[in-house]
Amino acid sequence: MKTSFAAVERQRLARCRLLTELRYRRVPRPGGWSHYGDQPGTEPTSLALLALRSSRSSPVPFEALAPLLACRRPNGLWSAVRDGDTEANFWASAIAINTLMILGADSEMFAEALDSLLHCEPLEASWLVRLKFRIADRHVRLDPTKFGWPWIPDTMSWVEPTSMVLIALERAKNLGLIQGGQLWCRLNKGTDMLLDRACPEGGWNAGNGVVYGVPLQPHLDATALALAALRFHYHLPTVNSSLTWMLDRIDCPSAHSLAWLILSAAAYKDWRSDVLPALGVARDRLAALVEEPQRIQDTSTIALAALALDPETANNPLEVRSCAHQ
Amino acid sequence: MNRRMFGGSLLAGTGALAVRRLCSTGRLRDRRKSRSRVAILHAESYDEPLDRLLLDGLGLFDLDLRDKTVLLKPNLVEYIAGADVNTDPRLVGAAANTLLAMGAKSVVVGEGPGHQRDTFLVLAESGLEKELQLRRIRFIDLNRDEIRQVRLKSAFTGLEKLWLPRTVLTSDVVVSMPKVKTHHWAGVTLSMKNLFGVVPGVAYGWPKNLLHCKGIERSILDINAAVPAHFVIADGIIGMEGNGPLNGSPRNLGRIVLADDPVAADFVCTRLMGLNPLRVNYLAQAAEFLGNGTPDRIVQLAEPMLVPQEPFAVLPEFAHLSI
Repeated sequence: MKTSFAAVERQRLARCRLLTELRYRRVPRPGGWSHYGDQPGTEPTSLALLALRSSRSSPVPFEALAPLLACRRPNGLWSAVRDGDTEANFWASAIAINTLMILGADSEMFAEALDSLLHCEPLEASWLVRLKFRIADRHVRLDPTKFGWPWIPDTMSWVEPTSMVLIALERAKNLGLIQGGQLWCRLNKGTDMLLDRACPEGGWNAGNGVVYGVPLQPHLDATALALAALRFHYHLPTVNSSLTWMLDRIDCPSAHSLAWLILSAAAYKDWRSDVLPALGVARDRLAALVEEPQRIQDTSTIALAALALDPETANNPLEVRSCAHQ
Repeated sequence: MNRRMFGGSLLAGTGALAVRRLCSTGRLRDRRKSRSRVAILHAESYDEPLDRLLLDGLGLFDLDLRDKTVLLKPNLVEYIAGADVNTDPRLVGAAANTLLAMGAKSVVVGEGPGHQRDTFLVLAESGLEKELQLRRIRFIDLNRDEIRQVRLKSAFTGLEKLWLPRTVLTSDVVVSMPKVKTHHWAGVTLSMKNLFGVVPGVAYGWPKNLLHCKGIERSILDINAAVPAHFVIADGIIGMEGNGPLNGSPRNLGRIVLADDPVAADFVCTRLMGLNPLRVNYLAQAAEFLGNGTPDRIVQLAEPMLVPQEPFAVLPEFAHLSI
């Protein structure tokens, strides 16, 4: 199915409006973007930088990256918002590293954080916690030996941060920035964790597929993220059924979830023939949903929608190409 | 009394004793007022004139809302087709309108769902977005609001500080609007547990796992000591029993509970569910310093308290809660 000229034009205009709104929402001092209000955050700043990137080939100048680097903590990891006292956040760190790699930043800017991600262990890594899940805490169906990454230190691993870290590590591996046994071990464990936490009907939520024997329903954005992280495992039945579940929901009424869906599905366009037609429909729907970007509260959603409506996929934060394409 | 019931009661009892000791040594401030007021309103369905009902009910309290900014915090967890999981949008809309009619300077609705990152998807699917648009009421995603760090006033979790949304900290009046439900980890989820939703996902993730790791009941106590709700409007028209807060069964209770004290509200709601609030560990402890639980310190308004013949069904772990 070919997308009509009118649809393409509608999407282009919608994207222009989103980018205008993004430029307007830049926090003047100290720079960067916030989810809402004046407090710059790592996620909105990362996504806005990607959405506003004008040149596809040349690296972004250092001063443009300054707002993102300002959210970095002394230990090299990123916090969710720019505030001296905020804790390290693994989701924020992964999205920042991923962004810096896409924008061609010097790897020295994120080498320490990359190393921290590689060596980060969630609570389940402790034998005591694993024992608790085996003996006392058996109402949530999960295998605690399969673990990924938590949102913040000293907590359990969850689907969204695990997915984003896997994407960042995969990209770093393909760029030749990291290698070795520890990398493979963490990539495998993280992948196993995502597969273990999938919902019985396909798809993912935050990470509880079955609780008290009851299957819980998947969420669109978590599914999109997990699928993007599992892109090189497209042949697995869990991945395939989850992709089907996700593509069946392109009538989603929320721009946030729909944008994640588009960015994730785009990574599968070469693997399944039903992805491209679904992407056309989803982009058209998204263009309609974001007609008035000034009414969208979350700036991340504006940036995500702009990225999802971008016909070029070079800035897609969820797409990691295999080594041959890098 | 079986072994599990004995264990549960013992836990609640010793917890309450420990809190009493902390209060007596001055390490925990006793914030209970001399009397709390709770009104039980009868409403068989959401199609009743809720604005009128709330206006009459709120008139029983000495609420001075003139020039005050009000934050309504409903329980918006996620949308499950056909399941009564969330505070009903019609009740939220009616509450917003009523509070404005009573002179509030502004009313906003705010929530930060625990597991669902796409707050606006839940807002749209639950019908709350439409309701708020109709009534021209603003919604704030508390998971992504600006955050400020506050020092905790109690030490149940061992966390010294907590990040909280600016909207919560700057509102003059915070109204907790829970759905009356059982909860598979905490026993019951009412106005106090509802405040988990003010803890920002942007700082703690989805779910707010740190609170689980530190203990759900201890976290409930610390959050409520840090940001107490000033008023409660509890949706007990249709509650949830069994495997709540998501996968239980609907239970027609036909009640709205109003209160100027979240602890008193939760005690009354728990009794309306046919459960014993003193056996809910966090409620027993909260009644020692945060608010009133004993009937002699609760002024009952409007309808009388009627304990149902058939208590709300609970999971076997919470069988000891039944009266």
